[in-house]
Amino acid sequence: MMTASPSIPTTLPLASPIEPFSPEPLRWVAEDGRPVRDLPARYTPELLRELHREMVRAREFDRKLVTLLRQGRTTFYAQSSGMEATQVGLARSIRVGHDWVWPYYRDHTLALAMGVPMIDLISQCLGTNSDLCKGRQMPHHFGSASKNFVSISSSIASQVPPAAGNAMAQKYLGTDEITLCTFGDGATSEGDWHAGLNMAGAAKAPALFVCENNQWAISTNLAAQTASPNIHIKAKAYGMPGFYVDGNDIIAVMEVCGYAAEWVRAGNGPALVECLTYRVGSHSNADADAEKNYRTRDEVNSWLARDPIARVEGLLAHLGHPVDAEERADLISAVHRAVDADVLKAEATGQPDWRIMFEDVYADTPPHLREQAAFVRAEMEGQK
Amino acid sequence: MTATQERPTQAGETRILTLIQAVTEAMREELARDDRVVVFGEDVGARGGVFLATAGLQAEFGPRRVFDTPLSEASVVGAAVGMAVRGLRPIAEIQFADYMGPGFDQIISQAAKIRYRSGGQFTAPMIIRTPSGGGVKGGHHHSQSPESYFTHTPGLKVVMPSTPYDAKGLLKAAIRGEDPVIYFEPKRLYRAAKGEVPSHDYTVKIGEGAIRREGTDLTLVGYGGVMPDAERAAAALAAEGVSVEVIDLRSLVPWDRELVLSSVQKTGRAVLVSEAPRISNFMGEVAYVIQEQAFDSLLAPVGQVAGFDTPYPYVQDKVYLPGPNRITAACVKALNY
Repeated sequence: MMTASPSIPTTLPLASPIEPFSPEPLRWVAEDGRPVRDLPARYTPELLRELHREMVRAREFDRKLVTLLRQGRTTFYAQSSGMEATQVGLARSIRVGHDWVWPYYRDHTLALAMGVPMIDLISQCLGTNSDLCKGRQMPHHFGSASKNFVSISSSIASQVPPAAGNAMAQKYLGTDEITLCTFGDGATSEGDWHAGLNMAGAAKAPALFVCENNQWAISTNLAAQTASPNIHIKAKAYGMPGFYVDGNDIIAVMEVCGYAAEWVRAGNGPALVECLTYRVGSHSNADADAEKNYRTRDEVNSWLARDPIARVEGLLAHLGHPVDAEERADLISAVHRAVDADVLKAEATGQPDWRIMFEDVYADTPPHLREQAAFVRAEMEGQK
Repeated sequence: MTATQERPTQAGETRILTLIQAVTEAMREELARDDRVVVFGEDVGARGGVFLATAGLQAEFGPRRVFDTPLSEASVVGAAVGMAVRGLRPIAEIQFADYMGPGFDQIISQAAKIRYRSGGQFTAPMIIRTPSGGGVKGGHHHSQSPESYFTHTPGLKVVMPSTPYDAKGLLKAAIRGEDPVIYFEPKRLYRAAKGEVPSHDYTVKIGEGAIRREGTDLTLVGYGGVMPDAERAAAALAAEGVSVEVIDLRSLVPWDRELVLSSVQKTGRAVLVSEAPRISNFMGEVAYVIQEQAFDSLLAPVGQVAGFDTPYPYVQDKVYLPGPNRITAACVKALNY
């Protein structure tokens, strides 16, 4: 796994066709939808439409879940609106179900784009019997073994050292898997973030670290978060390349993250990608009045004008395959119908009962937990 | 649950080993048995660990299986979580229990909860080995007994052997188990505790205590580094005609309530010994269960001998630690109540 004296590379071992440490975010498509460099052949109108559909689906999923929250049917929701290009692009950059993902809590668009059924995410948010996580966590802390999408901890950056270990195990086992680890910009201030990147670098582990830099950690903006001019520059400290990409340009995300993923898979060690995007919604329902206290409406509007979905629509129009209003409206109403149906289906499974409290604490239930479970059982029976 | 004999009962060769040799032997045998087992931490490779618990393992199994890490406990523990989730059986060494702080969040937010929070989809079977306790002139950053922090976190198993036999058997049980285990090694017994250890394969079940000495007048319960002093106290009292039953908990989570309760129901008196600070000391839980479950049997209040609620002192460590005299005095107090 590691040699007795690991040597940390001071220069990139490969001459890379995509250069790390670019001064500006790498971009393939301008905000008006016009390509600023040659589009690789794989971006056919069919693929672009597929990406567009996934991004719209995620946006509308977000809207519907906020509605559920306002109706009091869930208790928490952290929107990823505005970040669809980053998360859908990321899902397209890895081998889903083969590679492993240690995500953070604002990654439901990533999960959807990886093919996690919508009902699995909805069930987790509702805490129903159909929840794979058995109703044990607040909404937005999803996990799915079938996609190697590891269950999320709320403790910021705590997924980073385990992601390094996951990648070390992949290398140890001789697999060709990689580990994708995502986090927001705030996470990069945590000690565990630095510890994890340092460990992965020293072990030359196949980990792809991706910062979804949406520029706000609740109410703290990037300038207050770090004196570094950006996030990807921090990769230099850990002997890995740092890529800087326009996170609202899905072509750029797929090109850079896809390249970085394969560079990591080839055994070159870990890499860091910073996707510059923007959290157009509030942090969560807990700070729904973001524009009234810590940021300006003008700032939000300037980023709404750089909307990642509009950019793909602009590109499709530029290529002569515009998405017309009717098609868009049909797509949106189909998502709304699907969410409504899945919510009803999930709610119909009911809520897990008290027994789930005592299961999965350990592999087996030790005597003190059996006793405590018996106590609750007696309480429940007394209420009947 | 049953008490395990002080000496191994299985047939076969035994040797006299120290506690630390037994720890090393457990890792060597498990590394040989299971390719998923890896051993890592700060200075555990060529150096063999600062106490030499991993001496010779890298030479025998190579740097792929036994390796040094950056000096970061968050990385060591966190990497163990990730390795375990991906299918390895990591044995992570934290150089001193006093340095578990930087890895604390990884232990409580990741290792302890991943099975629960994922509905059993992901698990972290892993071991954190760490030397703990005082008596080696280490001052307060090399002598603490932080086990109570971890007994307070559901999802973790917590063990602390005091004999070479248990050190080997508990470590093997931990490696073969499916849960994260915090394995404390009482460092002042590393070379002071010697005993017979079978050369064949065996495990000591986590959750079972052991009767070290049978008795009828008082139950003396301890674990880890205080056990030799507890046995000295019992021997001194035996010379005065008092019959003390000595129990080594070995496991704190889960702990062997049945063994302790049946002993206290027999003797009517209990004195609980550990060297951790008094407030929120794990023995407070033992005392609670004794008074709740065996109140009618008690002839005296449950006594406790613990460390003091001060940082661990450097010069006054002999005063700080429960020695045989203080343990004996607590027993006498219970006997004369």
